[in-house]
Amino acid sequence: MKARRVKGLDPDGALADNAERIVRVRLDELCGFMPAAADPDEVVALHDMRIAAKRLRYILEVTGPCFGPYAQKATKMVKNLQDLLGEIHDCDVQIPETAAFAAQLQADDAAALRAAAGDADDLDPALLKQAPHAREHAGLAALQTHLRARRLLLFDRFLELWGDYERKGFRARLEYAVAERSGASIGAP
Amino acid sequence: MAKAQDIDVEPSEPFRLAAARVVRVRTAELFEYGDGVLDTRDIERVHDMRVASRRLRAVLEIFAPCFPPSEYKGILRDVKQLADALGERRDPDVHIDALQDFSRALSAANKPGVARLIDEQRARQTRGNEALAATLERVHERGLHERLLALAEAAEAAVA
Repeated sequence: MKARRVKGLDPDGALADNAERIVRVRLDELCGFMPAAADPDEVVALHDMRIAAKRLRYILEVTGPCFGPYAQKATKMVKNLQDLLGEIHDCDVQIPETAAFAAQLQADDAAALRAAAGDADDLDPALLKQAPHAREHAGLAALQTHLRARRLLLFDRFLELWGDYERKGFRARLEYAVAERSGASIGAP
Repeated sequence: MAKAQDIDVEPSEPFRLAAARVVRVRTAELFEYGDGVLDTRDIERVHDMRVASRRLRAVLEIFAPCFPPSEYKGILRDVKQLADALGERRDPDVHIDALQDFSRALSAANKPGVARLIDEQRARQTRGNEALAATLERVHERGLHERLLALAEAAEAAVA
């Protein structure tokens, strides 16, 4: 996912003024993935939301001290979100990889059994024991079930975590934190 | 896990000055983690270096307007390539670790399939390590460390 361009950055301007612009855009990017990412089948939206979380985390990691205590807290919140989305992404990568690996072993076994059957009229089920990967299929099936179940669980945790952030006013509080800093720097009372 | 060094920043300091200081710190972190990164017996080393590469890439992108564009583009590309190579090594490390944990909870009848997949991931890890070795060599040849420091210097020198 390409990052949205941040307009108005000034290399000679104050760090906090520039950081505020970046934080606002990155925060908007992150929050913009909801509600699309609340659909468990929206794998791409979830992946992009993880990237957006990473970008927000890194700007807060460096410039958080400019924006007071809530920005420091928000850094940890975004890291927790990013980590959870990363775990879901790992499942989304590993589920098809494991399925493809299992399918390849099955195809290899099918070819080997076909060769072993020679010119028989039909395939003898007893030949299955001779399949090169006969002992390996069960574990791979168990692994696929585990990964799917884990993905379901982690996704539920993601919805809970995001719901918790919304209840706590994560976006509004972070926007307030950067706005407060902005007001102070221009001499506001 | 690699913890980023806290960097003192002043809200009112020029963006360029902060850029120079932050890039120097993140560059030092990246290259500190280079020792032993190709040793597959300790997978935390490549993890730490990968995280450091991501942080460096992130700060290069954050402070992009502070750097001379021509030097910046090539450096960012090289940092991305290094981060990608570290990722190609790290992904099988993580997968192997998770599969080993999973296998411990399995009955004997289910272990062979997972062991087979671990073997597959070990082969991927070896290929990833070879690619990483080549990338690290290229990073050295292209003087990435020195170019990053020069980039920070250029940002600092341009302060009005």
